[in-house]
Amino acid sequence: MPRIMGIDIPGKKRVEYSLRYIYGIGPGRAREIVGKANIDKGKTADDLSGEELTRLTQVLQDGYVLEGDLRREVAQNIRRLISISSYRGGRHRKGLPVRGQRTHTNGRTRKGPRRTVGAVRGKEARSVAKAE
Amino acid sequence: MARSLKKGPFCEPKLILKVEKRNRSGDKSPIKTWSRRSMVLPEFVNHTFAVHNGKTFTSVFITENMVGHKLGEFSPTRIFRKHGVHTDKAVGLKK
Repeated sequence: MPRIMGIDIPGKKRVEYSLRYIYGIGPGRAREIVGKANIDKGKTADDLSGEELTRLTQVLQDGYVLEGDLRREVAQNIRRLISISSYRGGRHRKGLPVRGQRTHTNGRTRKGPRRTVGAVRGKEARSVAKAE
Repeated sequence: MARSLKKGPFCEPKLILKVEKRNRSGDKSPIKTWSRRSMVLPEFVNHTFAVHNGKTFTSVFITENMVGHKLGEFSPTRIFRKHGVHTDKAVGLKK
């Protein structure tokens, strides 16, 4: 299991596929990177020579924001949206879909497991709810 | 889909005129507008806008971070009160 850029240890697959285990690299970028680093497509990550690894690392460091840096960037963008109190920021804060999707049904990815809400029945419970 | 770069940002021409006028005279009074679709331009920074939300005007102070967003994004059109609490009134109506 080779290590690339410190933390990532992609497995026993071909490089193009194992690269996708890095946060910030998907199918398209993986293919692009393998081309740029001039690595034989058939090679698995384990078969890479030291020299090939350095070439790969070079390509990754030069052209891409990955892992921690990328996560930080995304979080920062969200924080910015919230701090300027924009509509999108509000949706992020409430954990609801941000891009205008319906929320009557669906949206479970953002909302999490279903929770029954509202409809306070008992008399006592009602007065409590009102007081709030 | 994003707007074509060729066209540049959209903003109500009248709004730009108003901002320019205020910039010249150093006037800081809020600009009342219904144009929620106008993009916040760099010249708008440090001005206050009163953006219509369909009912009232929300005052929005423009900071540097807001450039590139639309004015309407800062003036919410819906208020979320609370999910169906069964008040006496609502229960009475059902019977």
